[in-house]
Amino acid sequence: MVLDADVVQLRRGDLDALTALIARYQNRLYRYLLRLVREPAQAEDLFQQSWLRVAEKIRAYDPNRSFDSWLFTVARNLALDHLRRVHPQSLDEPALRGSDSESLADRLPSREILPLDRILDSERSEKLAAALSDLPATYREVLSLRFEEEMKLEEIAEVLGAPLSTVKTRLRRSLAQLRGTMEAHGFHGDPS
Amino acid sequence: MNAPNEHEKIRSLLSLAASGALDSAEEMSVESHLRNCTECAAEFEHWQALAGGLRRLPTPQLSPVVLQRTVALVREAQVARDEHRATLKVLIPLLALSWASTIFSWPLFKLASGALRVVLGIHAEPDWRVFAFFVAWTWLAAGVAAAMLSSQQRRDRRLA
Repeated sequence: MVLDADVVQLRRGDLDALTALIARYQNRLYRYLLRLVREPAQAEDLFQQSWLRVAEKIRAYDPNRSFDSWLFTVARNLALDHLRRVHPQSLDEPALRGSDSESLADRLPSREILPLDRILDSERSEKLAAALSDLPATYREVLSLRFEEEMKLEEIAEVLGAPLSTVKTRLRRSLAQLRGTMEAHGFHGDPS
Repeated sequence: MNAPNEHEKIRSLLSLAASGALDSAEEMSVESHLRNCTECAAEFEHWQALAGGLRRLPTPQLSPVVLQRTVALVREAQVARDEHRATLKVLIPLLALSWASTIFSWPLFKLASGALRVVLGIHAEPDWRVFAFFVAWTWLAAGVAAAMLSSQQRRDRRLA
């Protein structure tokens, strides 16, 4: 695995490399944390804590692992601790992609987007984000990692610390629940 | 014509197919089934639409203020950690040296006080309590000096 130059520099204690990494991952990491905890203020706080933890533990980072997976694992652990502390709700359940090659979803033609679809895009996005937000934390995170972070199933399994089969199950269940919620709001199979 | 159980099996894979989460064998069987089953093809379109919607969700943006605060916080913590490491590097050998000096100074103290007693014509034995008092006093003075220096350093860092 080729190590990111900034990660290499950070392991040597270079503070500029750390600044570059924070800037590069800012929106991705914040989005993931926001999907998990739902509250912007808490997500911001966890964002800071995550980078403090990264700077503290960077020497323990295994260069054979993907930095993305490691970073998201650090953030996830902090977020789950926070959720358990603040909302002692059930976090069990959630699942994602398989290979670098073009998938079936990529190969098959997607539906033609009509003008009306475009007009309704914004509303659909809002509804979809709201429906996503209503899912259990474990479902939200697997969907975010797969569709927003575009992680492979193997990477998601690494972040979740779960077997690939569990990831697939969570992905399937989370999509089914999300679709159910969307259909209950009157969006029948067309949330795009 | 697809067998009913195959139809159900493929149908259960459609959400994962739209997520790009199938292995190549599964993808091939789904693809071949979809060519002949309009019902599953329509269902697959629904899953594709949902997956597309998720991919196109707007990305929430982190506030620049939070970004700057995070960078400042992390840099500050890193500097403090580096200083702590540097302090330990100096402090540990110094502590070892201090303890070694304390242990070896007792025989020296006895020797020196013996010579002094001969010169002064005193017959009393050297008292370990006097030695302990001087050692405790020295350690206390060093400890207070170290605490004052550390406090000064922290104040300087806050003001910087």
